[in-house]
Amino acid sequence: MKRAKTIALVAGFGFFFLALLVQGILPYLLKPAAGISSREVTRTVRTPLGDLAEVKAEAAPVTDGGEKRGRAIYLREGCWYCHSQYTRPAAGEERRWGPVSEAGEYAHDLPHLFGTRRIGPDLLRVGGKYGDDWHTAHFFDPRAVVPDSVMPRFTWFFRTEGGRQVLNDEGRAVTAYVQSLGMQKGKWRDAFPYQNVRSGSASPEAAKSAERGKQVYSRRCAGCHGEKGDGKGTSPKDVLFTIAQPRDFTSGVFKFRLTPTGSVPLDSDLYRTITAGIRGTAMPPWFNLSEDDRWDVIHYIKTFSPDFSEYPPEAPIVVPQPPKPSPELVARGRRVFDEMKCWECHGREGRGDGPKSDTLEDDFGNRIPPANFTRGIFKSGPRAEDIFRTFMTGLSGTPMPSFADSFASPDDGWALTYYVLSLSADGGDQP
Amino acid sequence: MEKDNGLVNKNVVKEWLLWGFFWAVLAPLWGILLSLTFNYPTYLSGEFIHFGRLRPLHVNGVIFGVFSTLFLGLIQYMVPKLTGARMEREAWSRAALWIWNVSLLAGFGGILLGYNKGLEADELPALAASGLVASLLIVTWQVLGAIARRKEEKIYVALWYTIAALVWTDLNMVFGNLVLPHVMPGVSNAALHGLYIHYVVGLWITPGGLAIIYFFLPAAAKAPLYSHKLSLIGFWSLAFFYPFVGIHHYLLSPIPAWTQTIAIVASMMLIIPVWTVVANFFGTLKGGKWGAFQTDFTVKLLIFGAAMYFIGSTQGSVEALRGLQVPTHFTDFVIAHSHATVFGGYVIFVLAACYYVWPRIAGGGFDARLAQWSSWMIMAGISSMIGILIIQGLVQGTALAAGAEFVDTVVAMKPYWFIRTITGITMDIGIALVGINLYLSGRKAAAARGAR
Ligand code: HEC
Ligand code: HEC
Ligand code: HEC
Repeated sequence: MKRAKTIALVAGFGFFFLALLVQGILPYLLKPAAGISSREVTRTVRTPLGDLAEVKAEAAPVTDGGEKRGRAIYLREGCWYCHSQYTRPAAGEERRWGPVSEAGEYAHDLPHLFGTRRIGPDLLRVGGKYGDDWHTAHFFDPRAVVPDSVMPRFTWFFRTEGGRQVLNDEGRAVTAYVQSLGMQKGKWRDAFPYQNVRSGSASPEAAKSAERGKQVYSRRCAGCHGEKGDGKGTSPKDVLFTIAQPRDFTSGVFKFRLTPTGSVPLDSDLYRTITAGIRGTAMPPWFNLSEDDRWDVIHYIKTFSPDFSEYPPEAPIVVPQPPKPSPELVARGRRVFDEMKCWECHGREGRGDGPKSDTLEDDFGNRIPPANFTRGIFKSGPRAEDIFRTFMTGLSGTPMPSFADSFASPDDGWALTYYVLSLSADGGDQP
Repeated sequence: MEKDNGLVNKNVVKEWLLWGFFWAVLAPLWGILLSLTFNYPTYLSGEFIHFGRLRPLHVNGVIFGVFSTLFLGLIQYMVPKLTGARMEREAWSRAALWIWNVSLLAGFGGILLGYNKGLEADELPALAASGLVASLLIVTWQVLGAIARRKEEKIYVALWYTIAALVWTDLNMVFGNLVLPHVMPGVSNAALHGLYIHYVVGLWITPGGLAIIYFFLPAAAKAPLYSHKLSLIGFWSLAFFYPFVGIHHYLLSPIPAWTQTIAIVASMMLIIPVWTVVANFFGTLKGGKWGAFQTDFTVKLLIFGAAMYFIGSTQGSVEALRGLQVPTHFTDFVIAHSHATVFGGYVIFVLAACYYVWPRIAGGGFDARLAQWSSWMIMAGISSMIGILIIQGLVQGTALAAGAEFVDTVVAMKPYWFIRTITGITMDIGIALVGINLYLSGRKAAAARGAR
């Protein structure tokens, strides 16, 4: 019997617990700084001056009931067999999905959801990449939005309302959970260089690129913007878009431009918008598409409206180099905000609840609330230049006017910019 | 060893193996259904039946259904033969059998209904998993009891592996179900889970599968084991290094680098047990026994399985290296490794053993032509599946590392996935034919006995 006992005790018990100790427990017990139980994360925050800073912060536990429930559904539906939740300092993952994982971010994850297989993309940083409308359309039918997708449909996340699909409680919970992913790192996406490009280099105007662009368009854009470019894709027909409707390109109306109100945008404007996406809305960012694909699809969407060939873009404004923000600048910005009556629409505190806010409609007859600056989610982009550009040229097709002629000096413009940005300053752990 | 010493409870073994074949057809079938969704993503769109709910059934079905059920059944045959003693408390064998299989059925139902613990290879709901633990404890008790009453002082290496596998897995199942889901959140949880997963494959499937081939290869080839010293090296190096490899599932993660390095080194060291063990098997057939590879289906499949085990395990060791891991992790390259080892190696070992055991417990010869066909379908299916998975993993991994857009790389995978499904179908039909062939031969023999 002795042999059998040796095998059972030494090999069976001994080595089992030895490995458990060395590989599982010891790393946990070591000093938090070196070990894996640290709760510290580097977080990008908006400062009271309106710029971005990195701080060290304690990872926050999940308190939101929706997110907790959403995570349970994520486990139940087996999303994690197809989606990992960790990004490695290798293989260009930083460029694809954002900053490399930090131990502290996982401090409250039980069970962990690292994952071992990526049938779909990593989701560690997917929060804020898309607006809720995108997730709604995607859960209902991934192939309507991404025709090549192999992700299952999750039709039981929905109920019907007025002939269209809207998320039910479960669907909202999963969406809340997915949107919370990566948020331990705060506003990292606002500082993500690959998404927030300034503008593209000049585009090759080859004739064949519109042809190629058509293929890109039907594989990536048609589900929302429609094969004919009229904004009537299958997704907005099936699902209720609550934030913004996909643009009808035949109208020739574009919001984000360096050109004056009424003019078509520059190609480089479109390049910037398509690369960054329109935050908070269904419009995705396309920074992972090759540059050629992006240019090609721009040439193609320009063919939907005759405006591009009939009225060439007017001269763009020049956005000077922004100054460093300061408390004085922000205080001055507050005065400009009052004087220029931004509050009539955006509200005194910038919450989008000004006296005029209830009545506004865009050119397509949809209700359009003025931006709530305190949320810190900017359609036009998170950089000072983006905000500056927006009130200088206005957002065509919306009530947001151009204020280009109202400024005595460009400094007033920057003051206003930093004031607007400072409204979304993160409370608590500031430097 | 070959002589019927009357110590085996044939009916119990038969029932275990029949249940095993039930899973052996079903679990790969689930894999086929899953694989088809990559080309036809909408055909499985039910709330309770879609990719995310079916995948754990496939993985757990192969591990705990196919391999484990057949292995536990074969234990009931092998241990009395090796110890010269009946199983301890023989009546409990059948209890263990039913607890095991009913727990699996219930557990799979639970997963489909949404009771998923969220830890890979550890999804079965706690209640079902407790059933598995109870059943394992019974078998452990039976085996140790039989060993205590054994006739011969020396313990053959197949028994070592059996003892170790059972002890390890009793511990691991308790750990995986009672501890892992509830303690140490975050990165530590991932580290512990890495250990758990590799305890399942390394401390259950591997020693279990090796026990089978150590017993049945010499028995079927009628040749003594090549070297007992090699088997000693193989056993102890496996027992020492295997527990340490788990973290190689999560390399380049925030788990401390030194822990990862230990896992990588241990993974490389596994080459020692793998190569010595395989050398031992091939050595056993030296000296003119290779003919058995042609004529005997047990030997044919065991040797084929040993080759797959060799390839798959060596692949596993090298893919733990950071350089190869960067492009290949998260892709089908890793899926190739798991199919090569778990299916190509261990499941084929237990199937091979069935060709040996079934005629001895149910009587009657099986149809050799059908056996030939099914062996070839299994071998061709799994080999081409592994080939295609390795290629597609490398294609996708290098494309991603070169900066390709993600969905473009998914599109590139679709033709490969289609072929993979076909290889899976081939394999599964092969397995079903093995089951049908054996079952019919048993029925015929019973009928013949009845007629007499
Ligand atoms: C069969 C595997 C599979 C399952 C299961 C699955 N997905 Fe996906 N998912 C994909 C694939 C493939 C993509 C990429 C194509 C696309 O965007 O649809 C994707 C994309 C996504 C994206 C967009 C990621 C990005 O960066 O573009 C999100 C978010 C997402 N899935 C969430 C989920 C959630 C939540 C679940 C569970 C309710 C889930 N997925 C289940 C395969 C899967
Ligand atoms: C999931 C739906 C969806 C998809 C897919 C989509 N878009 Fe959009 N897109 C939108 C929505 C919604 C808006 C309107 C946002 C707003 O008006 O605030 C929009 C607006 C736009 C605009 C207008 C920008 C401006 O300056 O006003 C452009 C240009 C655009 N999309 C291009 C594309 C391109 C190119 C693709 C494919 C590569 C694409 N979109 C894919 C939903 C989508
Ligand atoms: C007549 C109402 C109105 C007035 C006055 C107005 N805005 Fe707006 N503004 C809007 C609306 C409506 C939107 C939202 C457009 C959209 O969602 O597409 C908007 C959007 C914006 C945005 C873009 C926010 C984002 O998400 O990127 C900025 C910046 C902005 N306004 C700044 C200002 C400033 C600064 C002033 C004062 C100089 C001002 N607005 C005055 C109606 C107004």
